[in-house]
Amino acid sequence: MDWEKLELNPKIINALKKANVNSAKKILSLPAPDLQRLLQLSNSEVQLVHTAVAALYRSVPPVTALQLTRGEFPSLEPGHRLSFACPVLDGLLHGGLPLLGITELAGESAAGKTQFGLQLSLSVQYSREHGGLGAGAVYICTEDPFPIKRLRQLITQQSRLRPDVPPALIRTIRFSDNIYIEHTADLEALQTCVTQRVRTLLERGLVRLIVVDSVAALFRSEFQADEAIERARHLLAFSATLHRLSHTYSVPVFCINQVTDVVDGPNPGRCDYGLVESKVLPALGIIWANQVMVRLMLRRQERCLRSGEQTSAARKLEVVFAPHLARASCLCGVWEEGVRGITQEGVVE
Amino acid sequence: MMLRTVSSSPLAPSVKVRLINAGFHTAADLTEVQPLQLCKAAGISPEEADEVLRTLRDDSSPLQQGAAVQSLTALDLLHQEETRGSIVTFCSELDAVLGGGVPVGKTTEICGVPGVGKTQLCVQLAVDVQIPVCFGGLGGEAVFIDTEGGFVVERLVGVAEAAVKHCAALAEDEEQRKALESFSVEKILSGVFLIRCQDHTELLAELHLLHDFLRKRPQVQLVVIDSVAFPFRHELEDLSHRTRILTGFSQQLTHLSAQHGAAVVLTNQMTTKVSSGQSKLVPALGEIWGHAATQRLILHWEGAQRFASLYKSSSHRDATVPYHITAEGFRDASVSASSASSLSPAAGSHSKRPRTEHQHS
Repeated sequence: MDWEKLELNPKIINALKKANVNSAKKILSLPAPDLQRLLQLSNSEVQLVHTAVAALYRSVPPVTALQLTRGEFPSLEPGHRLSFACPVLDGLLHGGLPLLGITELAGESAAGKTQFGLQLSLSVQYSREHGGLGAGAVYICTEDPFPIKRLRQLITQQSRLRPDVPPALIRTIRFSDNIYIEHTADLEALQTCVTQRVRTLLERGLVRLIVVDSVAALFRSEFQADEAIERARHLLAFSATLHRLSHTYSVPVFCINQVTDVVDGPNPGRCDYGLVESKVLPALGIIWANQVMVRLMLRRQERCLRSGEQTSAARKLEVVFAPHLARASCLCGVWEEGVRGITQEGVVE
Repeated sequence: MMLRTVSSSPLAPSVKVRLINAGFHTAADLTEVQPLQLCKAAGISPEEADEVLRTLRDDSSPLQQGAAVQSLTALDLLHQEETRGSIVTFCSELDAVLGGGVPVGKTTEICGVPGVGKTQLCVQLAVDVQIPVCFGGLGGEAVFIDTEGGFVVERLVGVAEAAVKHCAALAEDEEQRKALESFSVEKILSGVFLIRCQDHTELLAELHLLHDFLRKRPQVQLVVIDSVAFPFRHELEDLSHRTRILTGFSQQLTHLSAQHGAAVVLTNQMTTKVSSGQSKLVPALGEIWGHAATQRLILHWEGAQRFASLYKSSSHRDATVPYHITAEGFRDASVSASSASSLSPAAGSHSKRPRTEHQHS
C-alpha cells in the first residue's frame, strides 16, 4: 500500500511504517483497540487511520437509486437483461436473466433444463438491440457430455426461433465458435476452471455468460453424508467465485440444479420456500440456496402441447424466489427450434 | 462532569505511562498546565501534549467519549426514545409487535431463509423512512449496503410508487396535500443511497466511512446491511478470527445507531444445525453474533404462509404474526388476501402474463 496517498499527518504515517502493517486489508479488519495497541497511537488517531485507509480502499462512493435508474452506474445497475429469446419467458422474468448474480434453474431429469442453457448460450451472442450481450458463452458440463448435436440443430433453426431478427444478420453470427465448452470431472477441476480459464475468457471479453450444467452433480457425488461441513466449504468457495465474477464483469451466471424428493413428515430442518404442493425441492440444501439470487423451477406436466406439426410435453416454469419478481409461472414447450413459452390463451391440448 | 483518569483515557499507551510517571493521574491535575510545561514535565512531544490537553480537558467531542461523560437518567432516555420514533413496516400487525415499527437508534436483525422476504422488508423500510412527518413518518433518508447483489432498483421503484399512492389516498388536510407535492417516486429514489460491497473488507471500510457520511447527512435515519452473513461466511474460514472481527463489527454498529440516531437493520441467513440427530434451521454466524442486535426478527414459512417472529427484544414480548408480500411491498396478511387479486398499479402494468399469486419473494 502506498502510504504517501493517505491524508494523514507524518507522525501517524511513521507509526504505520514502524509497525510494518502494510496492507489496507489488514488495517481495515483490525478492530480499533487492536490497531491502537499495534500502532501505539491514541484512539482518535486510530480512527483517522481507519477512515483514511477506507477512503483509499473504496471504489465507488454511495450512489442514489435515482442515479441508478438513470443508468449513471452501469456496473451497479446495468439497466438491461439477457433475453431468453422468447417474449413469454422474458415477460415472466421481467426482461430476462439479470446480469448481476446467480440464477438457478432446478428440475427433474428430462424436464428440459439443458435446453434453457443452450438457448441462452445462443441468445447472448446477439447484439444488445436483439436482447443479447454481444459476446459468447462458457458452458461448464459436469454431468453429461455437451449435447453438440442438439446445439447444431438449434443453430440451423435460429431464424425460426427469432423472427424478430433479420435472417441476414443471423447468418453473420458464427454461433458455435463462440461457445467455450468445459468438461470438469471433479471439484478441483471445477474450481480451477472458474478461477482461471473462465476468468481469462471474461477478461478478454470473449464471453458474457456462464452456464454450469449442473452444480449438483459434483457436490452430490463427491461427498458422503457425514461430510456436510466439507461440502459446505467447497460450495461456498465455488459460489463466492461465481458471485465475484458476475459482479466484476457484469455477466449473468446460469446454474442448472437437480432436485431431491421431499420426505413425508415434519422436518424442522427443511426449508420448502412455501412450495407446499411440491414433491421435489432443489438439491444442495440451504447453503446453496443462500447464494442464489433468482431461483426457477421447471416441471414436466402430464399434458401435451402442439405447435404446427410438432408436439411437446408441457413444462411449467416457475419463479420460486427473486428480489424483483412475483411468484409466478408460465407454460412452455421444447421444440425443434428451441424453448418457447405459451400464454394461457395459447394452450391447445 | 466526571473526573477522568489518565489511565482510562483514549491516549496512546506510551503517552499515558509518561504522564502517570510525571505525576498526572486525573484530568484535574492537568487543568492549569500549559502545553509547553506538560511537554517538559512529562517528556512528550508538543503535538502529544496538545492532544493530551485536548482529550482530557474539554471532553466535549462526543465521538471520543460517549457514555463516559454523558449521564442520562432513565426518564431522559425514555423521552429520547419516544421522540425518536420508529419506521413503520406497512404490516400493521408487525408494527404492533414492534411497538410502532423498526426503532430508530437501535439495531434490528432480520433472519430468514432465502426468498422469504428479508430484502423485501429492507426495501420497504428504505421507502417508509421517507414518509413525510405530517403523515406520521420520519421524513428521513436511507443508506442501503448491499453485499448479496439482491438490491434491484426496479423493485424499489415499485414499492415507492405504491407508498406514494398510499399516502395520497390518506391525505386529508392542507399540510398533507402540500407535503405530497414533494413526496414523489423520484424524491424517494434520490433518498436511498446504495453501497455495494464484494467482501467483508469492503464492508468494514464502508462502515468506517459511514460515520462521516451520516454526520454530513443527518437526514439519514436508516442504515440497511443486506446481508451480514454473505461476506463473513464466504471468506473467513478461521472461526476465531471471524468471531473477533464480528465482535468489533457489532460494536461499531451499536455505536453507529446510538451516535447518529439511525435505525440499523441487518439481515442474516439461516443455516442447518444438527443436534442430537435432529436438524433445524438457525440464524447463521454463530451464538456470539446472536448478541449483536438489540432485537431479532425471524421470517419463516408455515405451509404457504409467511410469518414474522420477534425474539430477544428487551422492550417487547416475543410474538409471531403473519404477513404477505404483494406487488406493492410488505403488507398485512389479512388485508392483502382480499385486495391481492383486484389490485394494483404495479400488477396492472404486467398483468398480461399468467400469474398464480401476487407474491414477491
